[in-house]
Amino acid sequence: MELLESYRREHKRKRIIVILLFSAMVLMSIVCLFVGSSHMSVSDCTAALMRKGVPTNIRIIWNIRIPRVLAAIIAGAGLSLSGLIMQTTLNNIMASPSTLGVSNAAVFGANLSIIVFAGGFLSTGNNLSNYMIGVNPYAAGMVAFVFSTTSILLILGLCKTRSFTPNVVVLAGVALGSVWTAATTILQFYATDVGLSAAVIWSFGDLGRATYRTDAIMFVAVGLGYLFFMLMSWKYNVLLTGEPTAKSIGIHVDRLRFLSLLLASVITAVCVSFLGIIGFVGIICPHVTKKLLGQDHRHTIHASAICGSLLLLLADTLSRSMGNGSALPVGAITSLLGAPFFIALIFSKEERR
Amino acid sequence: MLQIQNLSFRYHHHAQPVLKGIDIELQDGEIGILLGKNGSGKTTLFKSILGISSASKDASVRFDGEDLLKMSRKERAKRIAYVPQDIQFGGLNVFDSILMGRISYFGCKAGRHDLEVVEQLIKDMQLESYATRSVNELSGGERQKIAIARALAQEPRLLIFDEPTGNLDIANEQLIIREAKRLAHDKNISILCSLHDLNQAFCFGDKFFFLKDGHIRYHGGKECINEEVIQEIFDIHVRIVEIEHQKIMIGGTPI
Repeated sequence: MELLESYRREHKRKRIIVILLFSAMVLMSIVCLFVGSSHMSVSDCTAALMRKGVPTNIRIIWNIRIPRVLAAIIAGAGLSLSGLIMQTTLNNIMASPSTLGVSNAAVFGANLSIIVFAGGFLSTGNNLSNYMIGVNPYAAGMVAFVFSTTSILLILGLCKTRSFTPNVVVLAGVALGSVWTAATTILQFYATDVGLSAAVIWSFGDLGRATYRTDAIMFVAVGLGYLFFMLMSWKYNVLLTGEPTAKSIGIHVDRLRFLSLLLASVITAVCVSFLGIIGFVGIICPHVTKKLLGQDHRHTIHASAICGSLLLLLADTLSRSMGNGSALPVGAITSLLGAPFFIALIFSKEERR
Repeated sequence: MLQIQNLSFRYHHHAQPVLKGIDIELQDGEIGILLGKNGSGKTTLFKSILGISSASKDASVRFDGEDLLKMSRKERAKRIAYVPQDIQFGGLNVFDSILMGRISYFGCKAGRHDLEVVEQLIKDMQLESYATRSVNELSGGERQKIAIARALAQEPRLLIFDEPTGNLDIANEQLIIREAKRLAHDKNISILCSLHDLNQAFCFGDKFFFLKDGHIRYHGGKECINEEVIQEIFDIHVRIVEIEHQKIMIGGTPI
């Protein structure tokens, strides 16, 4: 019994770390809610939260900040989870949510929509005046989503019929990604100045584009993925022991890989299509989590998701308080913030496998 | 009883099969040793038996009458377990690494019985002192023991060992072999194992299968081991002497 006791204690310790991370995330989302360019005081915010006080403040809190905070939580969790699952299923520590070329495809889709069809041009909703009057705020996102899904299906279909070894999938993903990037470059070459700048601005990740509706759609995708990944957490652990062992223990490795890559990519596609490119969350957060908690997916899945939300909330809070009135692109902040930390982490202790 | 019949294997793009009509029979609790040069197809044979690589359509791997190749992977995992040549563990602790072997029983979440099985195995194999440490911190011999424990957690009837003593020192080598022999005897598990060290093989095995060019050239008990057989299979000259009823091979000059 003593043995089981100490085993359970070990897991309890890790669960406590996860709970602490979760509390930090909740705290951060409150801070994020209270910070912004409109210089509202804490009491203004609290009043507005209870739908009291100045109507503008109520609008700011309920129509801008809450959807934004929710977007940070959902997309952060989604991107980070997606990265973790990519890394595990592809057995590659460099894998990220966009390893299969999903983001590149999304960028191409959005560029196509903006440059060729002039759609979504007014939807870069950083500023309050054109917040409501976007031509079709979803156009660019929709086209981006269509293209990234096509890209996913193309690559997974190809791999399914040909070869499903991780290295082939990664290489095929990189190759397909570069095709989308090249196509984007050609589109941009023919674009007007206005179209080009709109397209470039689209690709800056921006949580300000989030509305309750986009949040709900992202929530469905991320939620379903989360649930699936959670149920499969033991199987991911087994996958870490290598393909022959995993198969001999009774895992359908190819089926698990296919479904996991599909879900992880769809999560990425949804987040990127609605919010633009938010880089690095999907690489940094899973690695930080693994350093903190080890490789056990029963813990890392929760912790990665929470870490992703936390980083994106932090980055968003900073981007809004540094931008002097308008928010800096959050995608840039996550990398600026995360990359040095990440480098320090890599060199702090050689990771053993 | 394990009965492998007419097992052949061919890689996709190759015309020549790697394994041709392999037949193997093992009684419960018997230890069968597979001997052959590097590249003679030992690992391929194991993978085909385990259903990791797909054998020819007419092959059958029966255990007490049930055809393992026609079973779901999950059901098969409850009957055969595998300790591969290059063991990996991911980064889990010892307890969880062993518990992993029971996934075909529990699916998503380990139940009380699964935990108890693992606890018992840890006690049996005397792994208590590092049960909650990460497997990555352990030595080669300890890791090998954990791989065996993980395989046993599957409660298999047949255990397949691919070069279990490959990178172990002599003390650990003996430990693993003795452990395996005890298991075969106590739990009535059949073992199919490949070994490079012939002297070790002679003292460990009950039955021997000599593999060359995709065929089993010779098979039988200890009596079938002689200088001519070794010479034909491995292309070396050897002498075999008997000391205290134990066959021992000396020398080994290439032909």
